[in-house]
Amino acid sequence: MRGRALIAFIIVVTILALVPPFLNGYARSLLYITVLYVALAYAWNVISGYAGYLSFGQVTFFGLGAYTTAISVVRGHLPWWEGALLGGLISAALAVPLGYLMLRLRGAFFALGMLGLAQTLQVVANSWQLTGGGAGLFLPPGSNALPVYYWTLVIGLLTFAATLFIDRSAFGLRLQALREDEQVASTLGVHVTTTKVWAFVISAIVPGLLGGGYAWYLTYVEPVSAFATRFDLQAVAMTILGGIGTVWGPLIGGVLMSQVSEMLAAQYPQAYLMSFGGLVVVLLVFLPRGIAPAVSAALARRRARGAQGHQ
Amino acid sequence: MHAALIGQLTIDGLLVGGVYALSALGLNVIFGVMRIVNLAHGEFVIGAALLAAVLFERWHANLFVVLPLAFVLAFGLGALIQRAFLRRLPEDLASAETTSLLMTFGLSYFFVGAWLAFFSGNFRSVPYLTGAWTIGPFSIAQARLVAFVASGIIAVLLAMLLRYTALGRSIRATSQNLQGALACGVDVERVRTLSFALGTAIAAASGCLLILIFTVNPETGANVTLASFAVIALGGLGNYAGTLVGAAVIGLAVSFTGYFATAQVAQAAPYVLFILVLLVRPAGILGKSGA
Repeated sequence: MRGRALIAFIIVVTILALVPPFLNGYARSLLYITVLYVALAYAWNVISGYAGYLSFGQVTFFGLGAYTTAISVVRGHLPWWEGALLGGLISAALAVPLGYLMLRLRGAFFALGMLGLAQTLQVVANSWQLTGGGAGLFLPPGSNALPVYYWTLVIGLLTFAATLFIDRSAFGLRLQALREDEQVASTLGVHVTTTKVWAFVISAIVPGLLGGGYAWYLTYVEPVSAFATRFDLQAVAMTILGGIGTVWGPLIGGVLMSQVSEMLAAQYPQAYLMSFGGLVVVLLVFLPRGIAPAVSAALARRRARGAQGHQ
Repeated sequence: MHAALIGQLTIDGLLVGGVYALSALGLNVIFGVMRIVNLAHGEFVIGAALLAAVLFERWHANLFVVLPLAFVLAFGLGALIQRAFLRRLPEDLASAETTSLLMTFGLSYFFVGAWLAFFSGNFRSVPYLTGAWTIGPFSIAQARLVAFVASGIIAVLLAMLLRYTALGRSIRATSQNLQGALACGVDVERVRTLSFALGTAIAAASGCLLILIFTVNPETGANVTLASFAVIALGGLGNYAGTLVGAAVIGLAVSFTGYFATAQVAQAAPYVLFILVLLVRPAGILGKSGA
């Protein structure tokens, strides 16, 4: 980012940092949800967009973070953010062996493997005493949403920075090379396994850190909502709408759809699932590369025309 | 007593396995021809199951009425989906796989939402054949036996269709070698549409039988997709005989964990088994999936 883009970015971040204390509860929670969904979409975009390993179960780590935090607070009397940090660490630590195991699978095997993992952890959370079984765990009520918002904002910005880095670094090129053809990438000297496990860890640590904030914000955690694969559906829909495997895609898609998502999911779950599922299908037919590439193409055309005009 | 219990659970498991085999065969037909794994498969199974349950509640509709009806409806729905969406998948194989997974993932949630709207989120079952026959120390639930036999009949009909009809030959030719089939004048577009429709219809048929044994609601579709996929992953993608073995294994796993643990754990059993097998033989199964 240079010049005007950088200035715009700084202004947006300043607004996001300074405005929330002056907002009412409703606007503040909308802002929180938007930042949360954008960050989750960015995390999903690393393993599925850049590395090309479609995961339909990254919510596994979100739920893991939520439960780690709830258990730390309820049973260990830690402050929530220590629990959330722990959730991120556990997610990262688990993602390494899990990555070595699961990333040997491709395509549908990996996608369904991750989906099944989320379902399995849901069963575990449902039947274990430590996690409070089907009833879940209740956190102390009346907690302030503001700290959770800032926590989410910082992690979201870090995830965005990580995406910028991936998009412009040799690491990112290695990821995209193995997405296009793993054998060719390997022949060209890319450490395929290490590279994709790293991508997987990035895509795991972010939801791991954010899940704890979400649990603290909702003041409870229970198996069905903590491991709800609708979070993956959302990340998929938002990222495809914005542009899969692009820097701006998750931001565009996430901002456009978070509000709709939040309104529909709570009140009309049927309409929510039908519209998000349907949107994914329709987008893949009519706008498979999403909004971001279309916008940058239009900008490039305008710039080219501008350059011609000056001559 | 102990041996009798094991025998009983084995019988129950194998009978359920028959229904899993049928569902997995539907998934396999689609994979064979189109090289895509339909993640919305479980939703078609569950949609038909819920339809059967509702028709039974309202009019005591008989299985022999409901199953053909669901079969025909699902066939039309499958053809429609293929013509409207899946036909537009990109030509190049790698991006077609990615797009097809994303697309059928979206479809699966679309149908979860649609079934929630049509059928509500209530768990339903069909209390149709609740009796059991006793043979020696074992009891054989009528519902399970009927579901098993019906699955077997449909599977045999499918096998005959694939082996003896012109359509079956076209399907097998397209599965084995796309270029070859094209060169021999097979209308591959038509074969794809009919295969997807057929796979969907078989899913619906297995749903009508599954509801005789299990209680389901719209949100249990993902479990069915996972179980069906586990069956063909164990047996080998595109391998019809392997499907039967895989289904028996999954049926037994569900039956034993359902007894010794809980029904919930039993739902996760196919998945755990699937991962364990991939741990032991990742190369073998990967080889098949890459083909």
